[in-house]
Amino acid sequence: MKAMNRLILLGDEAVARGAIDAGISGAYAYPGTPSTEIFEYIHSLSARDDLGIHARWSTNEKVAYEEALGMSYAGRRAVVSFKHVGLNVAADPFISSTISGVHGGLLVVVADDPSMHSSQNEQDSRFFARFSQIVCFEPADQQQAYSMAREALDLSEKLEIPVMLRLVTRLAHSRSIVALSESRKQNRASYCPDTSRWTLLPSNARKGFDRLLNKQAELRAFSEEHGANKLSISGKGKPGIIASGIACGYVHEVLGDRLAEYNFLSIGVYPLPADKIKRLIQASSEVWIMEDGYPLIEQQLTGDGLHTAARIRGRMSGDLPRSGELTPDLVKSAFGMEASHGLTLPGSDAVVKPRPPLLCEGCPHSDTYEIIREATRTYPDVRIMGDIGCYTLGFYKPHEGLHSCICMGASIGMAAGISHAGFSPVLCVIGDSTFTHSGLTPLLDAARENTNIKVFVLDNSIVAMTGGQPTMVTDEAVVQIVAGLGVPPEHIKVIKPLPRSLEENVKVVRQEIEYRGLSVIISRRECVTYYKEIKTAQRNREGELR
Amino acid sequence: MKQDVLLCGVGGQGILSMAYVIDYSAMEAGYSLKQPEVHGMSQRGGAVQAHIRVSDKPIASELIPLGEADLIVSLEPLESLRYLRYLSAEDGCVITDITPFVNIPDYPDPSSIYGQLFQLPSVLLVNGAHLARKAGSPKAQNMIVLGAASSRLPYSSSVLEKHVTELFARKSERLVHVNLNAFRTGCAVSQLHQVLRQAGVSDSLIARVLPWLDFEAWPVSDRVAEAWLEFFQNPAACAATEQLWQSRSILPLEEDAPRKLLEGV
Repeated sequence: MKAMNRLILLGDEAVARGAIDAGISGAYAYPGTPSTEIFEYIHSLSARDDLGIHARWSTNEKVAYEEALGMSYAGRRAVVSFKHVGLNVAADPFISSTISGVHGGLLVVVADDPSMHSSQNEQDSRFFARFSQIVCFEPADQQQAYSMAREALDLSEKLEIPVMLRLVTRLAHSRSIVALSESRKQNRASYCPDTSRWTLLPSNARKGFDRLLNKQAELRAFSEEHGANKLSISGKGKPGIIASGIACGYVHEVLGDRLAEYNFLSIGVYPLPADKIKRLIQASSEVWIMEDGYPLIEQQLTGDGLHTAARIRGRMSGDLPRSGELTPDLVKSAFGMEASHGLTLPGSDAVVKPRPPLLCEGCPHSDTYEIIREATRTYPDVRIMGDIGCYTLGFYKPHEGLHSCICMGASIGMAAGISHAGFSPVLCVIGDSTFTHSGLTPLLDAARENTNIKVFVLDNSIVAMTGGQPTMVTDEAVVQIVAGLGVPPEHIKVIKPLPRSLEENVKVVRQEIEYRGLSVIISRRECVTYYKEIKTAQRNREGELR
Repeated sequence: MKQDVLLCGVGGQGILSMAYVIDYSAMEAGYSLKQPEVHGMSQRGGAVQAHIRVSDKPIASELIPLGEADLIVSLEPLESLRYLRYLSAEDGCVITDITPFVNIPDYPDPSSIYGQLFQLPSVLLVNGAHLARKAGSPKAQNMIVLGAASSRLPYSSSVLEKHVTELFARKSERLVHVNLNAFRTGCAVSQLHQVLRQAGVSDSLIARVLPWLDFEAWPVSDRVAEAWLEFFQNPAACAATEQLWQSRSILPLEEDAPRKLLEGV
């Protein structure tokens, strides 16, 4: 029996399991590293054990959030998960749902990516939690990830506000043994009788905002008393440490028994426990702040440098790097301990070459880049605006066929802006999943004014970059959407990027470049890495149609 | 007990499968475990690693601090050198496949990589590509290397084999068979390495020989092991190992192979 209750789980999976055991009825997400495995775990466990949890990938994070909020409106518990930049996409419903409040528990899991292992920025979601004035949990390990996910859903339902759980890459993608507790049944569906609080007309919204503000004292008391915000004073005049989340482990690793010589406050729940912090500062000669991500705690303590009553040392003071993920080695050197250099061999630096990620052998994107290069050879001024997906790797050699990548869907809107500025030809590339995530609205804009841009939809029938999740639309459905947005049928071209068809494909693209208006070229060929999964999905779709 | 292992290779080589077997063996042994790994973009043919921290006490940090890994287990020779700063300078050991995975234009001359590996105080080189093909699938390279690391891991072979079986049982019966074969072949490499090491033969000499022996999925016989022990006591062994390394020819795992090798010098 004991073995049944102890599992090896990724931090992501521990959160997922905690949410399942807290009785969620819905899981909503859009894939993004390092958050993808949260939804995937719920999806596969729900299917395996027939848990009756609604779990389907959403078109984008905003939609995912709204679906989760609807589940909560109907009195049932929901979890919505995405990476840090996904919260930007979902920010609109997220912020306003703190005003409306929730009915069934609503857990927002955000996985941050300090050091940008797989991201375009390293923004810290704890700022979003502070900005929206809700509770945020920051687990230190997988066991806490499990128990905090459970607790967050209980708390959300009790306080009637969404609750955030923040992960960082190193916890999201690290496995450990997690002990499970008894699972809770799902809620029965029930409407909240008061529809006015869900209808954010100014008169209702003002009341909602007051309700949120009036809850703040309760939130602070909760955080102050929470066991994860633990203060140990070893003595007056000793140095102090505040460590949050995963950084707690790094401090323990580096200092070991010597931690007993420090005053120590661990942080696992926000808003920050102000009384405990004051007591720590009063007792300590100096205070070290160890946090993975932006210096949120440090900035709050120093008031952005406005008050310096205590000696605060961390990322802002220059004692730790301002950017990038925290590591035990950085903690070590901050405390003045010599970091080990490990084993060194003379000359090994010259031998060890970097090995960046690259497009797989036989990838259709490589052929599309080849077509674009050939077709635009005579246009030295050409710009090819990029988007988010495997094809962003086209920036590197040998393709060097990409001139931007900002965020999901930006390629089309930016291409239009460049065209407005007077340049041509302007091309852009966007994958099938990114296209449905955020590409439809800018394409509608371009269709309305027949903007002279060439949009390449790279339809490989799957969300490959994040591990092969199903795409919303592929094949003819992409053509139908493009036509539905108002792109004239004669300028919607479908090509199959294969080396042997290079010449004819180049001809098609050249023709469209010469046309001074909007063209959409759908470059359609299955991903080679997930070919088997795509074929299975195709068979299933055909089965559904019959 | 405390062991920090760094697994590495190129995305797609099966690093996370190796980690799976070690993780579940550690849990079965009642140890604490932390195992961070790489997902996402880097998996597309990039450098990938996983840290495995195991202890009989609670483990605080996800990441292995620099200079504290006991073992680097690598599926690719260039990758094995990438993480040396994590390896303990006192007694760290590198176990690596010798087969280059060339997907970058400036991949270094393999001989410069091997030159580095031969300088390591503790190293075991494995011809995973050859042995995996022999075991039934080139993809089983990871299980060859895991087997080669087995005597350095604090779990019995039977526990490791149980989790190799579990891992591949989800896929197919045939894959279980192939991967167990590969794992046992790797164990044979590990076993002969241990015998030679305990007799005082230096790792850099052993490293020039083991990649060219045609190991099977069962333990190396005492007679063959003794024949190799005798070989390394011969003053000409050094020249013979160098010659074998240069010729890269596969030797049968028979007791007269070392004698023939010496005759060729």
